[in-house]
Order: sequence, then structure tokens, then C-alpha cells
Amino acid sequence: MPVTKKTGVNSETGIPGPAYNQGPDVWDKVTGKAVYGIDLQLPGMLYGKVLRSPHSHARVIRIDTAGAFAVPGVRAVLTASAIKNKPYGIVVEDEQPLAGDRVRYIGDEVAAVAAVDEESAGKALEAIKVDYEPLPAVYDPAEALGEDAVQLHEQYSGNIAWERDLERGDPEQAFKEADLVVENSFSIPSVHPTYLEPIACVASSDYMDNLTIHTALQSPDVVREIISAALELPLSKVRIIGPVMGGGFGGRVYGNLKLYLLSSLLSLQTGAPVKMQLSREEEFSVGRPMIAAQIKMRMALRKDGTFLAREADIITDNGAYSAQAPWVSKTLSERNDALYRIPHIRTRARLAYTNKVPTAQYRAYGNQAANFASESLIDQAAEKLQIDPLQLRLKNCTRAGDVTGHGLQIKSCALAECLEEAATRIGWHNRKKNRGYGISAGIHASGSLVLNQDFRGASARAVLELDGKVTVFTGEQDYGQGTYGAFSHIAAMVLGLDARQVRIYCRDTLVTPHSQGALANRQTTIGGRAVQLAAEDLKKLIEEAASEMAGQPVKMQEGRLETASNRDLKLEEVARYYHYRTSGLTLNGEGRYVPPPSAYDETGYGNISVTYSFAAHAAEVEVDRNTGALTVHRIAAVHDSGRIVNPHAARGQVFGGMTQGLGFCCYEGYLFDKGRVANASLADYRVPTAMDVPGMEYSFVETEDPEGPFGAKGLGEVVQVPVPGAIANAVADAAGSRVTELPLTAERIYRAISGGECER
Amino acid sequence: MKEQVIRFEINGEKAEVYADPTLSLLHLLRSRFNLIGTKEGCRKGECGTCTVLLDGQAVNSCLVPAGKVEGKKVLTIEGVTREGALKGKRVHPLQQSFVEKGAVQCGFCTPGMVMSAYALLRDNPSPSPEQVREAISGNLCRCSGYKQIEEAVLEAAKTMQEKQG
Repeated sequence: MPVTKKTGVNSETGIPGPAYNQGPDVWDKVTGKAVYGIDLQLPGMLYGKVLRSPHSHARVIRIDTAGAFAVPGVRAVLTASAIKNKPYGIVVEDEQPLAGDRVRYIGDEVAAVAAVDEESAGKALEAIKVDYEPLPAVYDPAEALGEDAVQLHEQYSGNIAWERDLERGDPEQAFKEADLVVENSFSIPSVHPTYLEPIACVASSDYMDNLTIHTALQSPDVVREIISAALELPLSKVRIIGPVMGGGFGGRVYGNLKLYLLSSLLSLQTGAPVKMQLSREEEFSVGRPMIAAQIKMRMALRKDGTFLAREADIITDNGAYSAQAPWVSKTLSERNDALYRIPHIRTRARLAYTNKVPTAQYRAYGNQAANFASESLIDQAAEKLQIDPLQLRLKNCTRAGDVTGHGLQIKSCALAECLEEAATRIGWHNRKKNRGYGISAGIHASGSLVLNQDFRGASARAVLELDGKVTVFTGEQDYGQGTYGAFSHIAAMVLGLDARQVRIYCRDTLVTPHSQGALANRQTTIGGRAVQLAAEDLKKLIEEAASEMAGQPVKMQEGRLETASNRDLKLEEVARYYHYRTSGLTLNGEGRYVPPPSAYDETGYGNISVTYSFAAHAAEVEVDRNTGALTVHRIAAVHDSGRIVNPHAARGQVFGGMTQGLGFCCYEGYLFDKGRVANASLADYRVPTAMDVPGMEYSFVETEDPEGPFGAKGLGEVVQVPVPGAIANAVADAAGSRVTELPLTAERIYRAISGGECER
Repeated sequence: MKEQVIRFEINGEKAEVYADPTLSLLHLLRSRFNLIGTKEGCRKGECGTCTVLLDGQAVNSCLVPAGKVEGKKVLTIEGVTREGALKGKRVHPLQQSFVEKGAVQCGFCTPGMVMSAYALLRDNPSPSPEQVREAISGNLCRCSGYKQIEEAVLEAAKTMQEKQG
């Protein structure tokens, strides 16, 4: 087994080298030994498969499973009537493990089978006969909100899964008094996180109905509670163990609950482990993309460029079932308002059910979708007012000490510096001919407090092992972002140790502290703070035990234990002393970080997060006026993520996030043929390849945030937020007209240039 | 289809297996030889995570029928690791530089990336950045933005050249 010994510590910063920061399993990954969900095998394992609806909307008249039971090797066949089929959901409970008398999209789960191999399971599916009575379907979200529209769920009348209508200040008056009003409509399609490893899980159970699900999740503890409730199994009987995760990007926060529930039900029925896995096509057609959005936006300004008001009317496309789509819709409809000082705001947002693939979330939570709209509109205003887009942003941007329109408390903020630095880096004041330049700002909550206001913090344990090394137990998740490297570093800084002496234990709900998981940029900010506190607690316990052992006061400094009489004690001696004295216990530091409660009122006004990260990106592009072909030459990203704890991992987050932002803006997006996903493959749903990546540069403006550990703030999500706005503005600058629909394909740019579709 | 005997060489060892020749090489490697380092991301030749070398050429093993490897040499990520070990290193220089340059994040694309890079350096020991990007353009990565991977391959090329010289 390779070890990481060779990698040194940077003597200047004390920060361990990249090998360590990429996480403890980096050598397993690079040698092909790392075990992912798709690699899992358990003795006696069966394979589960799902029969899916071929209809967008239909009544299920009859299901005949007799043929499936007759297939050799088949061990279980489940339909809605054979199970409890309790409703469940993340925000609204609109799903059941299997569709009952009605299917609502092409792919809806109708039956599930388990067999000794994949082939038999496939044959069993073919042997199930289902009679459907097709019903009229609705595919367009605006149409779904219409009066005579087909209804998807009786309990959500008008096809509204969630809605919001809010006003801050007096927008009506502000629009009346404005010198300039600009407006436009924007359209952003559904996108898939496109983690490279399709979701896979193995559920195993015993005769006492103890259920263990092996699957990689960003929020295993939350999923565990949902599964326990949906299956009516006591929580103590449900355990989730995580293999290595092949990418998450928000798509594995709650992953594919349906798959976990069905494999669990099949395992409980057969007593055998059951493996289920989505094919790549299923990932696109029944996995969980992020909601599409139609955004109508207006802005009111004074002649001098002062922002007065913003009004938005937003319809988001939920698909057939909801998951986190309401939360994503909320972030999408509000977060960008916090980027600038906008005193008067009116927002109407509606999340509409349609007979299409159900949705969930993606990195940046819709914030990047709305950013495309709001940052495009700011450039429209800049052009009308003949003000430089950079100056217009600098004049209005949020600054430290502000309380924003929705009540966010901005304790640290270097947005203005980020804007200036990004502009300088891209050559804003020294432009090349025939190139277009655009700039955009971004904000993202770092350490959301409102996922569960009662459980808004995080906890961690730091244990002194008998060999003098430290193990940190955490419920947070690392899938390559560098979280565990950062945690090792944080604990090491507190204890005065080398980060390589701190090991991370994770991904097992039976053992690790429970957590809200890897979302809302909370890992470093909240999880890291808990690790810091656990390490501080452990340090105190070590000093106490050492003092008792030495019979005189002992202080721990720079990793060394020194008595008042200058005698050095070894950590392993103290660990062993305590272990024997307590007949088997170990020194166990506990850290709990409970951030101040949020003053979040019924209108959603309040401070929703521990802190906020900021960024500004600038893009340089070239547009071929004859074809509309777009070349993104460079993107310069400047970030305020507080103090950067793990620079190597931060670099990976920035480049990776910028590239996903590029994909979101220029290539990606669901295409539908009525209810069917028309591009359900990696050939047709194009993500950026190595050939597409532009020149990327970045820098950090390091603020000292009072809340994050050692002043750190989140980075992983905010990095994607400003990309679409920056590129779209650069394209408008180059083309002389604006595209208001993503992705920015050559065809759309060409139409905009030739005046065919969109006006600037 | 009916199973038949397939004889080939895998990671320098002789192998003989009875298998349906229409199954994919990927399936054979993962299910019959337990070589799980070759990943399955799409089964359609669109993601590159299953890249292996077939007689020195980088191929998507999900698109190669098992029967087609008869008499050929297959190299997987496990074989590349062993190559490094045989030279007294923990890993191959490519793997070392992938780690050192921060080119490994979730790691799911990594084995396939290493294999494409291995094939490139075999034919072209000192590639340009453009040639590296082209060589890995069939391997998708969602975490990195490819920059660190490109740097890792260039760095490995340098290390390997120095050793030769």
C-alpha cells in the first residue's frame, strides 16, 4: 500500500503538499484500487432492476407479474400494491417508492425485480405486463400553471409545487421614480450534474430487519432519516456506509432516493444484498437534473447608475416530482439580489409540475441560472446609461457591514476588490480588437443555517490514538474537494502537529457524528469549525491527563508536552496512561459548533447563512459573425473565500467550477421531445472536454471572516455562479446583440447577430 | 452467444478464459479478472473511464468485444501500477505526477486518464500541451477543468525523459 510520506510540508505556510490535501484515498484512486459504488460486490448479492413507464401521463389499469415470477433466478417482484408505498419527499411529500394507479413521466417506476444476475432481472422485466390508459400531459411549465391545464397531483392544485411572492421596500414607487427601466426575459434549461460515476447502491439486511445501504452520498444522515420514515423502520436499524464517490456536484446530496428505497425493499423481501445501478441513459432520463427556469426581470435605475429596484417573475420547471426543487427555486429567485445594494425588490416565483423528468439540485443551486439573467440586465442598463459595466457594478456592489435587501448580514466582503482585480486581469482597460469582454459578480451562502434551523451546526470528535496519532471522526463528506485535507490541517494547526499525523474517519452513519452533509458550502465553514473545536477540546484533555500523569502542570505547545520542570512527555505515553487508568477508554475531544440562530421571518427575511463568499469573473471571447461560433479565450476569476485553508484543493475547485460554468453557459442543457429526454447520452448532452477549456486564471482576495475556521469561507459552489453572466456579457459585447437563452450555441448567437430572435 | 476460449495477455501475464465473445472487454476485465480499476461510466464509448491499452493503443474497453482480444496484449491501470513497482517505485511516474499536480479529485476518470496519457507518452515522449489535450479529449473529467491533468502529463513526460537520458 503506497503511503504519503514522501510529500513534504511547505515550510513557509506550514501547509502540507498536494498529495495530502487531495485526501487520504488519493493513492487508491490513482492506482485503480479505490472502491466506488459501481464496484461493490457482497456475497450472495442479487441484482435489482426497475420497470418504467413508457407514458408521460397514464392511469395504470392492471399489472400482471406472473410471468416475471416464472423466470428462473428471480427472487422478488414488487409492485405498488405489494408494499406499504408510503409517500415521502424532501420538501413536499409527492413521491412513493413505486407508482400506484398513475404514472406521471416517461420513466416513472412501476415495478422492481431482484434476480441472481442482471440478465435474469432483465428477462423478468420483459415478462411483466402492464395495461395503461394514457392521459393528456403537460410539458410546458407556463402552460401547466394555466387554468385548464392537466393536473399532476391532486394535493398541489394548479400544478404549483411551491410559490413565493415577496416585496421588500416599495418597488412600485421606485419604478415610477426611475430614470431608466430595463427589462428582458431569459430562459435556462435543465442541466444534469453529470458526475462521472452513475449512482449505484447495495442494500443488505438481516432477519432482524437491520438494513445497511452502501452508497456514496453527500448527505447520508439526512437520507437515512428519510429512508427510515418511508420504510417505517426504526432509525437505529438503518445504517449508510459510503464507498468512494465518483463526483457529486449537488446531485448526490440526497442522490436517487427511489433507487435506495427499492433496493432496500428488495433486500428486506429476499434477505439478500441487492445491487441497483442507474445506466448513463437513466441518469439523464430518470436521474435528477436541476430545474429549468424562465425569468422575466426588470430593473429601475437613476441616471447616475444607482440601482433602485429589481422585479422578477420566475417560473421554474419541477418535472413530475419535487425533491429539493423548492429550495433551489428559492435560491434562484433571491440570492443574486444580495450582490448589489438594491433597496426595493419584488419577486414572484412559481415552481410548476410538468410531465417530465423529476428534478433536484446541482452545484450553485440555481444561483448561476439567475446570475445569467441579472448580470445580463445590468449590462443592458450600463449600455443605455453609457456607463462602464465595471464602474456600474462598483458603484452598487455590496460591501462588508451591509445588511442586504433580504436581510443577509455581510460580515466580510471583498466584492469590489474582486471586480477590479478580475477586470485588470482580463485586460478590461486595454482591450484587444475583435474580442468581446464581459464581467459578472457572484455571491453564495457559505454554511446555510436554514436547511434545518434546529440542527444548523456541526460536530466532530478528535481521538488520541494509543500510538500518539489523532483520528478525527466527521460526518462531512469529501469526494475530491479537499475537505478532509482541510480538516487534517485545521486539527493539526490547533494541536501543533503535522497534518499527516491526523487521520480522518468518515462515511459510516453508525460511527461518525451526524451531519447535514456536503451542501450549501457548509463543509469548511461549519464542519471545519467543529473540527477546530474538537481539536481544542482534545488538547485540553491531553493536558489534563498529562498533568495528572506527571504530577505537575503540563502545557501542550507546538505539538510537544512539556512539564513545569522541563521534562518532555510523549503523546503516546499520555494516551496509554489514560487508556490503562480508564480500563480501555481513549482521550476523546468533542467539538460542537452551533452558529447563532437565524432571524428568518415568514417572508424569508433574515440571515440565512453563517457567512457569504463572493467572486467576480471576467471573460474574453471571440465571435465569428458569419457563423455565430463562439471561442471563449480566457476567464479570470477573483474570489473572496476568506482565508484559503487548502490552496491546492482550492485550485482544483476553481478550475473545475469554472469549467462546469462554461459547460452550463455554452454547451449543456436538456432537450425534450414532448416528455421524452431527447439527449440522454454523453454524446448528445455535451459537457466540456479538454479541448474546450479556455485559458483560466484566478486569484484570491483573502478577507478575515469572523465566523469561519481561521477566517475561511466556502468556495466550491460560488465559483460556478459568475461564469454564465461573464461569458454572456462578453458575447453581447462581441456580437453587438444579446442572447437571452442558454446554452449560448452558435445558432442562437448567429440569430442574435442577424436580428432573428433576440433584441439587445 | 456461445462461450468460447479466449487467450490473450493481460498486464504481462498469460490469460485464458471461457466467455461469450460478444461481451465487452470491460465486462471481462471487471467481472472475470476483478480488475475494477477500469471504470464503467457509460457503456457506450462516450466517457473514456474504461480506457485500456490494446496492443499499445488506447481504446474504450466497453466497445471492444471480448473475442477481439484473442492473441492481443491488454494493459490496465493495475498493470501500469505494477510497472512502477517493478522499477522499485511505489507507482508509475504518471501516477506520481497525477497526485503531485492535484489531478486526482473524485478519481473516477483517473485510471482512464492515466491510460490515455500512457498511450500518448509511449508514442510521443515529449508532447506539447495541445497534444496532451487532444490525447485526453475522449476522457471526460467533471472535477478538474483538465488543467491539472494536462500539467501532470507534461510533468510525467519530463520525469520519464530525464530518467531515460
